[in-house]
Amino acid sequence: MSLGRRAFLQFVGGAIGGTLLTPIPWKLADDSAIWTQNWSWRPSPERGEITRVRSVCQLCPGGCGITARLVNGRRAVAVTGNEAHALSGGGVCPMGASSLQYLYAPYRIQQPLKQMGSRGDSKGFKPVSWAEALKEVTAKLTKLRSEGKSHTVACLTGQKRSTMARLWKRFLTAYGSPNFYTMPDAADSMRLAVALTTGRDAEVGFLWDKATYVLNFGAPLLEGWGSPVYLQKVFGRWQTEKPGVPRTVLVHVESRASLTASKAHRWIACNPGTEAALALGIAHVLVRDKLYDAAFVAEKVFGFEDWTDATGAQRKGFRNVVLAKYGVEETAKITGVAPQTIQDLARELAKQKHALVVWGQDKGDKPNSLYHDLAFLALNALLGTLTPSGTVVLVPPDPWGDLPEPVLDTEAYRGAGQTALGRPSTVPRTKAPVNTVLPFLEALASGSEYPVELLFIHEANPAYSLPETALVTQALQKAAMVVSFSSFMDETTQWADIILPNHTALERLDDVIGLPGAPYVYYALASPIVKPLYDTKGTGDVLLNLAAAVGGGVAESHPWKTYEEVLKATVASIAKAGTGLVATAGSFDPASVLPGRPLQPNFKDAADLWNKLKAGACWVDAPAAVESFATPSERYELACQGLMVSISPTAADDLFMPRFHPLKPSGEESEFPLLLVAYASLMLSEGYVPNTPFMNKLLPDDVLRKQDVFVEIHPETARTLGLADKAAAVLKTPRGETPVRVRLTTAVKPGVVAAPQGFGHTAYDEYVQQKGFNANSLVEVQLDPITGLGTLWATRAQLRRA
Amino acid sequence: MSGSAHSEHAESKVRYGMVIDLDKCTGCGACSVACQQENNVSFRPDESDKLRTLSWMTLYRLENGAGYPDYRAAMLPRPCMHCDSPHHSPCTFVCPVNATIRDEHTGIVDHVAVRCIGCRYCMVACPYHARSFNWWDPKWPKSMEAMLTPEVSPRMRGVVEKCTFCHHRLNLARDRARLNGEDPDSVVYTPACAEVCPTGAITFGNLKDPNSDVAKLAKDPRAFRLLEKLHTEPKVYYLSSAQWIRRQSDNGL
Amino acid sequence: MGEVKKSASQKGAGIVFFLAGFIGALLVGWVVFPNVLYSTKTQPITFLHSSHQDSNCEDCHYFRDDGSYNGLPKVAKCAECHAEPMGDSPEEKKLVEEYIQQEREIPWLVYAWQPDNVYFSHAAHTQQQGIECVRCHRDVTKETKNPPFKENRLTGYSDKTMKMVECEKCHAEHGASNACHLCHK
Repeated sequence: MSLGRRAFLQFVGGAIGGTLLTPIPWKLADDSAIWTQNWSWRPSPERGEITRVRSVCQLCPGGCGITARLVNGRRAVAVTGNEAHALSGGGVCPMGASSLQYLYAPYRIQQPLKQMGSRGDSKGFKPVSWAEALKEVTAKLTKLRSEGKSHTVACLTGQKRSTMARLWKRFLTAYGSPNFYTMPDAADSMRLAVALTTGRDAEVGFLWDKATYVLNFGAPLLEGWGSPVYLQKVFGRWQTEKPGVPRTVLVHVESRASLTASKAHRWIACNPGTEAALALGIAHVLVRDKLYDAAFVAEKVFGFEDWTDATGAQRKGFRNVVLAKYGVEETAKITGVAPQTIQDLARELAKQKHALVVWGQDKGDKPNSLYHDLAFLALNALLGTLTPSGTVVLVPPDPWGDLPEPVLDTEAYRGAGQTALGRPSTVPRTKAPVNTVLPFLEALASGSEYPVELLFIHEANPAYSLPETALVTQALQKAAMVVSFSSFMDETTQWADIILPNHTALERLDDVIGLPGAPYVYYALASPIVKPLYDTKGTGDVLLNLAAAVGGGVAESHPWKTYEEVLKATVASIAKAGTGLVATAGSFDPASVLPGRPLQPNFKDAADLWNKLKAGACWVDAPAAVESFATPSERYELACQGLMVSISPTAADDLFMPRFHPLKPSGEESEFPLLLVAYASLMLSEGYVPNTPFMNKLLPDDVLRKQDVFVEIHPETARTLGLADKAAAVLKTPRGETPVRVRLTTAVKPGVVAAPQGFGHTAYDEYVQQKGFNANSLVEVQLDPITGLGTLWATRAQLRRA
Repeated sequence: MSGSAHSEHAESKVRYGMVIDLDKCTGCGACSVACQQENNVSFRPDESDKLRTLSWMTLYRLENGAGYPDYRAAMLPRPCMHCDSPHHSPCTFVCPVNATIRDEHTGIVDHVAVRCIGCRYCMVACPYHARSFNWWDPKWPKSMEAMLTPEVSPRMRGVVEKCTFCHHRLNLARDRARLNGEDPDSVVYTPACAEVCPTGAITFGNLKDPNSDVAKLAKDPRAFRLLEKLHTEPKVYYLSSAQWIRRQSDNGL
Repeated sequence: MGEVKKSASQKGAGIVFFLAGFIGALLVGWVVFPNVLYSTKTQPITFLHSSHQDSNCEDCHYFRDDGSYNGLPKVAKCAECHAEPMGDSPEEKKLVEEYIQQEREIPWLVYAWQPDNVYFSHAAHTQQQGIECVRCHRDVTKETKNPPFKENRLTGYSDKTMKMVECEKCHAEHGASNACHLCHK
């Protein structure tokens, strides 16, 4: 019987019928649906027990409490706030929330590297062992010291508020170099101003919870200034309706409608960089109309009235200077604020029981003109906010005392006698430290004074995050040897000769000292949340290792074996001081801490304090009340005699008093008719670490679109330039030019260009690179002629169609 | 019809909702980052094409349209509204495969990615743009796969995803209640966004509990919802004392 | 007539062909297919619950404080007793030498392993509803050897892995909610 077509079909029919009665089609359909869920390239996260570790964030000086969630104790999957933290109470900022993306970043440096090719070649790095790398650095340190060149070793660290900064300073002091620098900070100028006016080395803290009226000159309180989450919490409290309690009023002075300006109860729009003039104009009205705190001024202030100096010369006091120079009409002309508004602000301020004047710029990472800091302090003094019942306190940077004095051998003495590279002689001698980073880099780049043989760079990316990036790159190339401790392959690290990678913030034990802008003495320990992922070492330990290897006084000055021991010594001295408490949310009311009322300790001894801090809690104390001043006059000095001495005993009256002193930006107005201002945002990181992919998702498409970054201009400016919204343009300043796109908005004043900070990276990975331009490469730094600190207010710019 | 929004819903003790106080919100973006991390939301090198990007908690900038210096801006965080309109939410009404359904015991609008066929009908139906589509395979840098959480399943190319009110946290809270002998059907929990908000602008809880903060705030005179004229009955309320912000609530986003 | 005959015999033959296909398909579908679809795997270590009668079930399978269920214990749990071999079984030797001493987790083949998009609440079933473990898991108390692990070649899951339809059916029968988020994450 041959199998015909018909038979075949019959067979197939039977087979189909039979198959339908088997699981084959149904099972296959069902299983293939599940098969499609199993693409091997879609990761399926490992399951397991979820545990929590508490710590403190170190990505900015904000000192916020964090909680890390781990799977099976080793894989960190989330970082959120720590609800038990007394000051950040569960809140976190977008950078803190995405901090795991730094820990697990593909651009981590995984072992020590040495540049085998030419400097700056990112592909020239080859792995070396820790022993080999440390040997090389030690050899260089030993050689320079034996040649009497110890002062040519310099350090720039970005970890400003930590025992690490003290350890670096100590290492350089014992080694014999005055060239210790931290990345620029608002405190650099503010501490000088405080030291000159009060005779104390302190930062300014503000009693946010006590103030009923806050006049804020430019500080982006809600965009990363000070301790960001703490201030967001404060703002949340201000905005919470409390029956019978009037809301705290926030009046914000700034040229641009930043988010802080928009969220403020009132926004005073002024010309860019003229906030200090407005402060003095308001001071003028207070003085003219006798609205100031007459008792405080009469009893505690020097230089308000005319006075006679040591040579017998008659000197004009602040009253007459401010009355003569900062009339309402003049101030209005400078600031663009209506005369009536200036008078109203002064009267409103004077009416308040608890007024507060605060000032600042960006994320608190820019020093101010010394005169301007003095002006804002003067306004506070006139309002009597510096009294023990006022709203401004002086927070000492380390009330429990520093580590024991380092041992200075002959080479250390010789080095200490050298001048810091590039430091101007006019810097007033006060108790406050001097941090002339930019003059140092300028001198290094230009090769003046003396060369730098060895430059340490720690937790900082100056080639990206300092203004005038071109200068920094030049300086890096001039240093004979650059040793980087960076955890990441960033723009600066590419110029290193040797990289000794630090653990990232989440892998190391470290500490946070002080909370910028807050009225507390603050200390917290940051515990590691995971074991180090790679072959990295904590820089504290590496530094102690180097100190021991160099020997002599350097080794003697560093008796500790590990960085943990140094931290334990710090904690022990806090415990010994016997005040302050371990604060936890719920039992601690941030508003209850008042100056002059030290908090009662709630810990047994140093070991108990150590354990509590290691578990993520923070130590808080109230600063002393400002009862007296340690100035030559023993009063608050509106006329700073210390400044008069350092400038010239015959200096004109207003040269050692608060004054509006804008530095002229370079470039001709005819060529650069616009003013460029760079703004900060919590959605953008412009410091040591770049934006995370998580943060990039937040950015609106009229700030970043593909590779294009938008600058803000007023529609009127756009009309005169013939630019439509979203149009491509070229932004040029005396420092350089870059393609941009424009966003037309009435948030900025006509004639002003506002550019975001935090874009334009060339290092890291594809999630960060090639997005717009780095505002720091376009802005112009102006060195304060007195302090040498790099200030920034506006840069002349032109915008033209692309 | 809209007045009795809850009338068709099953008798349950809870109806989860959220209130976002725009007077407190500073637009910092912590909520959105916490959401991305909590829910394994994938990202790409370029996130600037907002029609293609995945985002559960999106920040919108509202502007008052005035000239300098009267200009004001405010940020508005937008999760899924978990619409409570009778019978169906706009998205659940159109889903052809029941991949998105509202749970009447909690009011949460569920979306199961593995069931989704990627037709994107729900995205069209949603007036709040709360849904995103996976145009590409999710891809993390190799070293970052270590930070994926097992609490939420990563999605795949070709499906829609959206805010779940962190219902995995609800499940865990319910289990905790069961072990402690408490009633699992009346637990309260906190989604990731509300947990991290530094100003306390986001309040989450049970709208059916008249003593809860969320229920009280939802009745605040400053309270409003987005596009109320569509009668979608969002369970996400906003608070603002600024007229110009409240006015924009009906204008679309 | 011949034509009719031929037609009849063709009809008969047709049924034969049809039946051949039909029965063949049934055989393939019910006998061959299951064997082809599943590959049989053995556990990395023979673990017998019956040899651990001195422990309670909860010693190893317990609820964590956060409400979640720990499922299978980690190797650290095994190490509590087996830091050194207690007997001379080669399987125990393997456990100690290859896993405990090397701090490696044992890659158990889990018979009830569910996809990562599934959330199963043990607390709801065993604690709240009092359902016995053996309603879903095999009875391990008297087991003398590990059952073979039959891995579905297409899905990668065990043949014992419960499918959604079973969950839904039981939920429907008991009036329990079938909301998506109860079981999916």
